[in-house]
Amino acid sequence: MSDHEHAGFDATKIFIVLLVLTLVEVGWSFIPGMSKFFLWGGLLTMAFMKGFLIFTYFMHMKFEGWLVKVLIAPTPFLILVMIFALMPDIGSNSRMDHHLTDMADPETGQIIELGSRDVEHGDNGH
Amino acid sequence: MSNTITAYDASVDAPKPHHPVYDYDSGPPVDRGKFAIWLFLGTEIMFFTGLIGVYIVIRTGAPAWPDPANRLAVGITAFNTFVLISSSFTVVRGLQCIQQGDKSGLVKWLGLSILGGALFVGIQIYEYIELFHLGSIPGKDLFWSTFYACTGFHGLHVIVGVIWLICVWIGALRGTYTAENHVRLELAGLYWHFVDLVWVLLFTIIYLF
Repeated sequence: MSDHEHAGFDATKIFIVLLVLTLVEVGWSFIPGMSKFFLWGGLLTMAFMKGFLIFTYFMHMKFEGWLVKVLIAPTPFLILVMIFALMPDIGSNSRMDHHLTDMADPETGQIIELGSRDVEHGDNGH
Repeated sequence: MSNTITAYDASVDAPKPHHPVYDYDSGPPVDRGKFAIWLFLGTEIMFFTGLIGVYIVIRTGAPAWPDPANRLAVGITAFNTFVLISSSFTVVRGLQCIQQGDKSGLVKWLGLSILGGALFVGIQIYEYIELFHLGSIPGKDLFWSTFYACTGFHGLHVIVGVIWLICVWIGALRGTYTAENHVRLELAGLYWHFVDLVWVLLFTIIYLF
């Protein structure tokens, strides 16, 4: 016995939209001279659109009952908590005693060796 | 006091006629398997949140981050993304076939999904081998550590998904699934779509940002 009456949707249309979004995404990332705001904003928007389509239609969330939706509902909130809870510590390199990574040449990607920064407050615990 | 266990005596032990007899299912108002798989996917969401979230945080805090286009093969990975999205589509088509009672259609579309998943894993393994040859190993720097952690765990999930789909496909070959009974196929499909969804985000954040 099915839990709900299956609601149809055109999977082919969703698939084509996903492919188009993927192509646009890749092209978007290679547009020269675009500001980071538009680059990242556009990429994130398209990624979430694709994720939304897969989640809603392929995973049938649109046609599921309240119980399944309630199960998944806390996760977006927890995702944001996870990221923003870590941001003040790890995400703020100025507060670290050492660089998290060696400096990479932005043009070639080659690693430029960096020594540790001087510790502001003496013993760094190592 | 007697320790004898007496047999069930219907005249004594059966519910009295005026006592109501409840006959209902006290489980969740949804298929148990579907409830369980969504609960599991909730944990998987948090698992990948840990990986992707930390990648975002570390990258935000790093003084510099290499351009992925200079280090990674974006083109072939974009093709890999197409492969995985296609395999997700074929799972949906297989499900729609069995909902209409078309068992041979299910076998065909599910087979294509397995091929797509296997191709995705193969291309990713090829990418790893090429990167290893270039000396880009985990631990070389933070970029590679986070790259291998995120894509490696996702790759493991894809392998598990392929194995699961193969098991479901064997059931389909045996004619196990019908229009009225195909919940196990739905459950495998949910997992596979989730793996695809994660890759959609991973590809954007790691390869294109």
